Amino acid sequence: MVDLSVKIGSLRLKNPVLTASGTFGYGRDYDEYLDIAQLGGIVTKTITLNPREGNPMPRIAETPAGMLNSIGLSNVGADRYLSDKLPALKNVDTVVIANVAGDTIEEYGEIVSRIQDQSRIDGIEINVSCPNVKQGGLAFGTNPDITAEVVRISRLETEKPLIVKLTPNVTDITEIALAAQESGADAVSCMNTLVGMGIDISTRKPLLHHILGGLSGPSIKPVALAKAYQIVQVLDIPVIGIGGIMTWEDAVEFLLAGVTAVQVGTLSFVDPYGSIAIIEGLRLYCQKNGISKVENLIGGMIQS
Amino acid sequence: MIHICEITEQHSITNNIYRMRLKAPMIASSAKPGQFIHIKVRTGIDPLLRRPFSIHRIDPGNEEIILLYRKAGRGTSILSQMSPGDSLDLMGPLGQGFDLQTSFDHAIIVAGGMGSAPVFFLIDELLKAKKKITLLWGVRAGEEIFNENEIRKQGIELKVATEDASKGHCGFVTDLLSEYLSKNITKNTYSGFVCGPECMIHEVQKIVESVDFRWQASLEARMACGVGVCLGCAVLIRERGFQMVCKDGPVFDLREVQFNG
Ligand SMILES: Cc1cc2nc3c(=O)[nH]c(=O)nc-3n(C[C@H](O)[C@H](O)[C@H](O)COP(=O)(O)OP(=O)(O)OC[C@H]3O[C@@H](n4cnc5c(N)ncnc54)[C@H](O)[C@@H]3O)c2cc1C
Ligand SMILES: Cc1cc2nc3c(=O)[nH]c(=O)nc-3n(C[C@H](O)[C@H](O)[C@H](O)COP(=O)(O)O)c2cc1C
Ligand code: FES
Repeated sequence: MVDLSVKIGSLRLKNPVLTASGTFGYGRDYDEYLDIAQLGGIVTKTITLNPREGNPMPRIAETPAGMLNSIGLSNVGADRYLSDKLPALKNVDTVVIANVAGDTIEEYGEIVSRIQDQSRIDGIEINVSCPNVKQGGLAFGTNPDITAEVVRISRLETEKPLIVKLTPNVTDITEIALAAQESGADAVSCMNTLVGMGIDISTRKPLLHHILGGLSGPSIKPVALAKAYQIVQVLDIPVIGIGGIMTWEDAVEFLLAGVTAVQVGTLSFVDPYGSIAIIEGLRLYCQKNGISKVENLIGGMIQS
Repeated sequence: MIHICEITEQHSITNNIYRMRLKAPMIASSAKPGQFIHIKVRTGIDPLLRRPFSIHRIDPGNEEIILLYRKAGRGTSILSQMSPGDSLDLMGPLGQGFDLQTSFDHAIIVAGGMGSAPVFFLIDELLKAKKKITLLWGVRAGEEIFNENEIRKQGIELKVATEDASKGHCGFVTDLLSEYLSKNITKNTYSGFVCGPECMIHEVQKIVESVDFRWQASLEARMACGVGVCLGCAVLIRERGFQMVCKDGPVFDLREVQFNG
């Protein structure tokens, strides 16, 4: 028997594979394809205080081994999340992490305080990749001081495990990660999508209505792995690796680089069962290599 | 559901339109006209996303589904090179098909380009329900019209429009529709169906503004997940806001669709 469980702060996950925010709905959309109780955890779609319609079309486009999206944080809002979505996860034996965002620093505090007393929410992931409306529209997560402030305000509202999801679209991601840690984050997840774009040369139109979008999928994996590795070097709190993970081999690579768990995103669109296949692959890999605890793999890269 | 299905037949109708048969017992026994399947054209990471295709027809006796597709880019090129015996990974049937429960005697179907794909499955079901059918079919070139004799033999009124003037009316299928509606003000209860490119569907929406029977339209949008999760395939629907083409559609009430511009 291989012990696949890992710990993120006070959270015990039955295995290190979670589904990433925005790629798994509110948790029940893929029930026809997999048993969600087998997952290490589910991170639900980013919610904001009020519902959002999202951006005009086109919102997605395929790129070589990847995709661009500018969905625009379309979500049902906190009220419906609490009344309809969260209750549907009652009695499911897996960890549920609510992902939240706001337009202003204060809104992060409000949304965290709004949901934090829910026993079904095991942890809260803060999405700092969205625009800071009051201060010029740059993403909160591109500035260490603003990131710190968002985390501090959220921390005041909850005792639940707090995970800060970092954006890679910065000069030095370790600086932001350290700011999150110092302000009370229990873990960081790395990374959100990379800014990207594409143009259809026959129509000369951008592939996305909003021109710029977020690149995800296997094409970003080497970047994601490097960012995760860099953060692991400077932080004491656990890191959750995200970006382009498609196979169990990818997951092992991230664990060897030092992350404690991984999230799979785009993979679910291509293969809804893919997250479970990764868990099975991890188990077999550990068995074959005589690894009794997956925790023993973490940070196991051997430098030549 | 994910199915691994064997290709049993594939051939080209024109130099870039193909018909493919797949052994898919579960889909063949449960699909409704207007639903689609979501195909991973090959394993691996490139091309990454699945491709959506309408179910063109069903052959329940052989537990097969039939696709009709145009070679449009990388994914469809890969599909066109596959042979009987090869397998495809597909999800489906997905989406909501046409609503055929409403009472009507006579179906007017407007098909443009590859919009003809779902129309044949629709026609098969309408014939079973003993409906009268008028098919207005528009294509770029006459060679894209197939099964003409079969269609006529089934008692379907068929009018064809070609942009290259090689067959039927020279021009757009929407011309045929305007003409048809101007001549056929009858006491029949009609129901309208439209499948094709967005600009054509938009045009049909304008033309049918003054008629009082129901029209259903099958829409297309770029898709990632195909099941309502990624929120990538939104369409604006009156009173309901953004709906997902993959999950809430691809068939919508034509009058409720809000097109850009
Ligand atoms: C519900 C639905 C049913 C469809 N049914 C059929 C059918 O029966 N027969 C048929 O020939 N075509 C159909 N299409 C269009 C078909 O999905 C595209 O032609 C196909 O995805 C093109 O892929 P490609 O790799 O060859 O083209 P590329 O241009 O290389 O594709 C690049 C990306 O754009 C997407 N894309 C390109 N064109 C379209 C399009 N028209 N609609 C949606 N996404 C597109 C692709 O899926 C892919 O993600 C349908 C589309 C939808 C949404
Ligand atoms: C369509 C789509 C929607 C997403 N929505 C969100 C979101 O609402 N909140 C968030 O924090 N990340 C969101 N993400 C980012 C993913 O959670 C993940 O960080 C990113 O896609 C990289 O992982 P991947 O390469 O495995 O997809 C979204 C990604 C995609 C592709
Ligand atoms: S394709 Fe993902 S929501 Fe429709």
